Amino acid sequence: MSTPLKIASRTEGENTAVLSLIGDVDVATAGRVRDSGLKLVKEGIRHLIVDLTPTEFMDSTGLGTLVGLHKRLRELEGEVTIAVLQPRVKRLFEITGLTQVFRICDDVAAALKEVRG
Amino acid sequence: MKTTTPDQVEIRIPRRAEFVRVARMAACAVASQLDFTFDVVKDVELAVGEACANAVEHVPEESCNEILVKFSIDPTQLTVEVFDRGQGFDPDAAAATGDGGLDWDDPGGLGLVVIREVMDDMVVECDEAAGTCVRMVKYRSR
Repeated sequence: MSTPLKIASRTEGENTAVLSLIGDVDVATAGRVRDSGLKLVKEGIRHLIVDLTPTEFMDSTGLGTLVGLHKRLRELEGEVTIAVLQPRVKRLFEITGLTQVFRICDDVAAALKEVRG
Repeated sequence: MKTTTPDQVEIRIPRRAEFVRVARMAACAVASQLDFTFDVVKDVELAVGEACANAVEHVPEESCNEILVKFSIDPTQLTVEVFDRGQGFDPDAAAATGDGGLDWDDPGGLGLVVIREVMDDMVVECDEAAGTCVRMVKYRSR
């Protein structure tokens, strides 16, 4: 059975990348998100913007994966910043208290602005 | 007093991550038949997905090959039960709230936090012989 998630990444400057998650981020696809994120970290990325604006569904396994990537980057003095517009996906961060952990922006442009300070 | 037998829908899925989506789709289909708003239908979908994902991720492989999802519809509520043959877990420890109680080194309890938030009632029953049942309720026209 195919898993309905497309992952796209692009770099934005020396150590920043945008990871766009298009489709469902759930127990079946979270492993691919983790692998894609860790590959970028290995390549030297320290500020990872996770673009959830095209994400249609997300569950707690997906959230846990983002927490793991964030922890890894914090060890390297970086971080994960979240771009999320969809109220349903945004609500998940609120329910779980993750709004206190991540910087959360409405879109990628705002997230890039935050990262660049 | 007149009593009615709930309408029931059951679905069995292999205990594998890629099939959780099938259970979610069934949840959407069942909840859509009721007088729920779109947001509530999506809440039921999310809760069923979380309960099934919990069974996929936290049950030892050798102890369980499938997950049973049972929907019971009566005039006052939709009850969803997710059964697996695992040995269970401590739901209170696993569902510590995000208000400082959650262990960020092991965020595995997030699913139960989510279910408690989006459903009206939720209990976890663990039985060594029968396995684990996550029972969730959404009230109709509340």
